[in-house]
Amino acid sequence: MARTALVAAGVLLFFLSLGSAAFAQTDCKKLVPASPWGPNDQTGATNRVTAAVTKAAAAEIQTGKVITMSYPLTDGVPLFGTRFTKTILTATSLAPGASFGENELTYMEDTWLSQSHVGTHLDGMGHIGRKDCYYNQTPMGKYINQNNMTRLGLEHLKSFATRGVIIDMVKVFQAAGKFKGNSACKKPCLDKGTVITSADLQAGLKMYNVTLREADIVIIHTGWGDLFEQFPAQNATYNSGAPGIGKDAANWLASQKVVAVGTDTWVVEVIPGENPKEAFIVHNILLTDNGIHIIENVRTDLIAAEAAATKRATFFVNMTVPKAVGLTGNFVAIDAIQ
Amino acid sequence: MLPTPAIPRGRRRRRVRGRVWIVVAAVAVIVVGIGPPASPQRRWVVAFANLTEEPGVTLEGTGFTGPEVRESFTLAARPHPIDLVFYDNRRDDVRAVENAEAAVARRVDLYVQYHRSAAANATVAQKLKAAGIPVLAVNDPVPGAPLYALDNVAAGRMAGEALAQFAARAWSGQPTVAVAIGRVSAAAERVPERVRGVSDALRERMPAARLTTLDTQGNPAQVAPLLGAFLAANPSRRVLIAATDDATALAAKAAVEATGRARDAAIVGQGVDRTIHGGINDRKEIDPTNRNSIVIGSVAFYLDRLGYEVLPLALRMLRGEPVPPRTLTPHKLITAANVFIEYPPYDMN
Repeated sequence: MARTALVAAGVLLFFLSLGSAAFAQTDCKKLVPASPWGPNDQTGATNRVTAAVTKAAAAEIQTGKVITMSYPLTDGVPLFGTRFTKTILTATSLAPGASFGENELTYMEDTWLSQSHVGTHLDGMGHIGRKDCYYNQTPMGKYINQNNMTRLGLEHLKSFATRGVIIDMVKVFQAAGKFKGNSACKKPCLDKGTVITSADLQAGLKMYNVTLREADIVIIHTGWGDLFEQFPAQNATYNSGAPGIGKDAANWLASQKVVAVGTDTWVVEVIPGENPKEAFIVHNILLTDNGIHIIENVRTDLIAAEAAATKRATFFVNMTVPKAVGLTGNFVAIDAIQ
Repeated sequence: MLPTPAIPRGRRRRRVRGRVWIVVAAVAVIVVGIGPPASPQRRWVVAFANLTEEPGVTLEGTGFTGPEVRESFTLAARPHPIDLVFYDNRRDDVRAVENAEAAVARRVDLYVQYHRSAAANATVAQKLKAAGIPVLAVNDPVPGAPLYALDNVAAGRMAGEALAQFAARAWSGQPTVAVAIGRVSAAAERVPERVRGVSDALRERMPAARLTTLDTQGNPAQVAPLLGAFLAANPSRRVLIAATDDATALAAKAAVEATGRARDAAIVGQGVDRTIHGGINDRKEIDPTNRNSIVIGSVAFYLDRLGYEVLPLALRMLRGEPVPPRTLTPHKLITAANVFIEYPPYDMN
């Protein structure tokens, strides 16, 4: 009897060991760095936006002029892959006799069917990983269900009330005599595949005598957003690639401890990438490794023009992100206030 | 005036020595500081004379075109201190020599020559040597120049081995025949070497399986009649199909399906051009979501990444470092399991 029990236990142990091998998860400590804010951190770089940071950023508001940095979110704008956005208007109370009360109140509302990463949008910590490992060594396989993530959702983000800095890459490349545009752009734009380096970023900052501060949001104007504005005519060209930052620039921005990096492209990083065998590697560097947000499809032309006119490349960022529980990202509205 | 405190002789000596070293260090810092300003990294002008830039004309018996090859140089040059100058040899000997002369006049630092003709390549080599311009040859030798080239035999072997492994796994013990189909006689593009590689691999791994060659002469419309007749002649056999390019592989798949023999066939292509893999929204034959395709893979020729292989060699030559006389393309079998690793579908379209 005892021998049978031993054999049974042995067999059970054997199958259990097989099972654990089959379902073993990646060791995320080997793939992703730990968060500087501790093992329980789900927030990432917005940890840097302290009360002191917001107060200092408020000093950027001098004239009160507000410049939009968002594109209209509507059917027909360029979207990645199979993403879609569709709105359905409910307007039944406009039907004869459907208004309410003596004051004949009517109402309307919308159903919005959309992926979250459309239009001007923010990538959250749960958007990009290496294998199943996400920001702060999170083994994401354990934290997803059919509807959302149970870690790293947008609800964990803190404020984005900080200083913004616009870096005009069109001017930098023109000044350096290395500007190569794309004929589809109506205004000057860097061509797709143009790699923006850390030296380019620093040259752009020098143009306006700006030094990056911890907790800044860096917005890069490439001009490529001109194709977004032409939607749907230039969607295919817009989607075919992008100018953007390379690995060196991403690492440099991470070393500057910024909160977010945004551009007027769908991807922030250069496409085609520097190494054809790497996929969206800058996303890994910023989001997965450093908890720094990426903001895509940012309307940058207006703030770039304002900076050129006023010689001020810094502003207060007015952007809020919904406390959307378990979401990997969301569309946002951004204003630059000077 | 305060009296100077007395210092023991040993400590005084050490202090004096320390001061001397400080002065020496300061002088060194000043000398370095006032030296010539750090010169920016030297940039090189590299000329690439492409085989042809004609739109739609495919190269090396694959689906890749000249503009794709040129684009790979443009992309690959981005992180390097290289300024590129492009020439189009137009598959024409006179033009190829004229291009070399233009490069000499322009005093480029290195010339990458991609041209078929041995005679024209010899003339080009002579002119560039006289001008002191080093040459790097692509796919066809240039006298005295290191060569970067496709390895058609190795690529063929990979296809043959993939087919044999599939047969051993899926059809063990069943009567099986093999066919090589495509531009099998296109000697100028070395396609027969590809077929030889397939044949060698099959002979080693499946000695009983005989290999038949079907020549479409580059016309995909010929695939269905040729393969249809072959399938009809082998009604009760499994069929391994080595297509010499991706377009032929896809045509072969259609032909096999049209004859109702999809369960009897496995296909491997050559090239891995965008007809068989693609962007995020393309319908891709080689795709992780299409693992049951009878096109079990294709052997990568990486002509769309030629610049990434060639420019590092060119840089080594320019820096006076040794390069091997012959460097071969690291061909690889691309399947549904590794296509997204080798070819991340990064564009949005």
